[in-house]
Amino acid sequence: MKAVCWMGTHSMEVHQVPDPVILNPHDAIVKITRTAVCGSDLHLYDGYIPTMESGDIVGHEFMGIVEEVGRDVKKIKRGDRVVVPFTIACGKCTFCHSDLWSLCDNSNPNAHVAEAMYGYTGSALFGYSHIYGGYAGGQAQYARVPFADVGPLKIENDLPDEKVLFLSDIFPTGYQAAENAGIQHGDTVVVWGCGPVGLFSIASAYMLGAVKVIAIDRIPERLRLAREYCGATTVDYSDDDVTIVEALRDLTGGIGPDRCIDAVGMEAHSATLVGMYDKVKQALMLETDRPFVLRQAIQSIRKGGTLSIPGVYGGVLDKVNFGAAFGKGIEMKMGQTHMMRYMQPLLERIERGEIDPSFLISHRVGIEEVPDMYKVFRDKQDECTKVVIDPWQDRIAA
Amino acid sequence: MLLRVLASQILTCEVKLMAAKLAKTGEERGKGAFVPAGRRGEHYAGLPDDSDHGIVNAHAVQTIMAEPEALFDLWSEVKLYPLWQEHVISVERTRTEADGNVTHWVMGDPSEPHGKRIEFDSKTVEDRANMKISWRSITNSLQQSGYVTFVATESGRGTLVTLIQRINVPGGTVGNAVVATAKRSPRQTVIEDLRHFKQLAETGEIPSVEGQPHGPRGISGGIKRWMYGETIPTPPGSSKAA
Repeated sequence: MKAVCWMGTHSMEVHQVPDPVILNPHDAIVKITRTAVCGSDLHLYDGYIPTMESGDIVGHEFMGIVEEVGRDVKKIKRGDRVVVPFTIACGKCTFCHSDLWSLCDNSNPNAHVAEAMYGYTGSALFGYSHIYGGYAGGQAQYARVPFADVGPLKIENDLPDEKVLFLSDIFPTGYQAAENAGIQHGDTVVVWGCGPVGLFSIASAYMLGAVKVIAIDRIPERLRLAREYCGATTVDYSDDDVTIVEALRDLTGGIGPDRCIDAVGMEAHSATLVGMYDKVKQALMLETDRPFVLRQAIQSIRKGGTLSIPGVYGGVLDKVNFGAAFGKGIEMKMGQTHMMRYMQPLLERIERGEIDPSFLISHRVGIEEVPDMYKVFRDKQDECTKVVIDPWQDRIAA
Repeated sequence: MLLRVLASQILTCEVKLMAAKLAKTGEERGKGAFVPAGRRGEHYAGLPDDSDHGIVNAHAVQTIMAEPEALFDLWSEVKLYPLWQEHVISVERTRTEADGNVTHWVMGDPSEPHGKRIEFDSKTVEDRANMKISWRSITNSLQQSGYVTFVATESGRGTLVTLIQRINVPGGTVGNAVVATAKRSPRQTVIEDLRHFKQLAETGEIPSVEGQPHGPRGISGGIKRWMYGETIPTPPGSSKAA
């Protein structure tokens, strides 16, 4: 099959590789019909995620048709149409039983690497480095899906792939961000970052009762999507006349926003067995804007507010204004998405026509075009907000 | 003033009475107030975890979502050890003596059929149903002893399993000898073995990425694979029949 492989920093290549096979009794093989590039894949592209190995198949947002199942798979069968969540959960450990699916104890075969860095491992992820399990990803024609009775969501309607594909990560991730923010009716919510997760956070914040959502970015196209598709009040942080802390005070009657969502995270993924600390610092200097989001959110938020962090952080942060966080008695909640909590209810919202997630797709490409799209997406060229891939076509004429 | 002193004395009395009620156990009274009924303070002094003169003491602890009985039964199936313990080729019960069963072990890298093998005999020295199994080797090629305990937790999270191992390889430092065959420190191997046991007991399989497709690995691949421990064959769990 054809697969997109990480070959080093800023180097993605399409290679012909063997088809995946069933390795464990709860595995399924899925023939992928649609897949996508996630913002967090850009961290791989930019080389900020440690424990990547050249040849790794990337991609964690995918859906398709079940091709084959292992002997212990009960809930899905050959021919079923499924969306596969990006986290891999066993469904049996104490964390899965507690609805904390992205903290599954058992799915990461390289748990000891994560334990060395974080103390404990979270669940494994598809196509996202060896610290997260080293599982082959979904920017490919087929994928092996472990614990296939737990993750994959069966799609039994005739909605097109593009409307349900984002249940694999970004829609639930944006929704959990809003839920983690503890939004109460009447709240004002601020979302930093109008990428896909940010946009879904805005939409979800309104679903959960926010009266006003303020969205911060610098890309005109993304600010437009936030206004026109999600109903946000937008602020361009690159505007010389705007300082964010002041803008948020102005827009909230001097009180400050009740709930803040950092949907940017930190390019500087680090943390490791051997001094990644310097690498973090280096990245901080390279990406001058990004580390400001967490600090800015802490500085802007109202007293007793809640800060939710869906943006990915990996390592050791420098100069976080923890005193302000303490002084204002704020709450913080973060982490990977507990996918299995949200996929079914959000599918139902899509089926009821409450939201059409396909609004943010800007590019539809074939698999041979994917390596080039990484650069386009990272640099936000060509009004790129979301790249969707048909892995069975080499190229799709523009 | 007097009233206030009186009031505070009454209050103190009440607090003491309350503490006494909570503590219940008579001898605890006076040591500390508010000791919950049936509880005693404890001190953690560390489980065995060191290496000295070629002897390694290691431990691993896991809470496993299963009854102690089921875990004890799984652990008692010595024939299944190669399914969940790293670098175990085979374990056979060879004979039963008055004071315990004797098992014959063959260890090595299962992915290398003609690779190095270490063989030894081990004997069960304690076998308390559903609670504890302990053992020690009775031949010199690999001296090791240890025990595993199974205790139901009060938290409803299953069974607390504690594995303690003491390993001694004669004729050289343990680091060199065992790393040469196991590619992993003996202490980490103990941790991984109990992890695999938990994975198998909870999910019915041992998660693995061995045998999945990938693109060309290039030069750094081998070094990294060694670093992440991915050159060590994952025990098959129940996958052989997949």
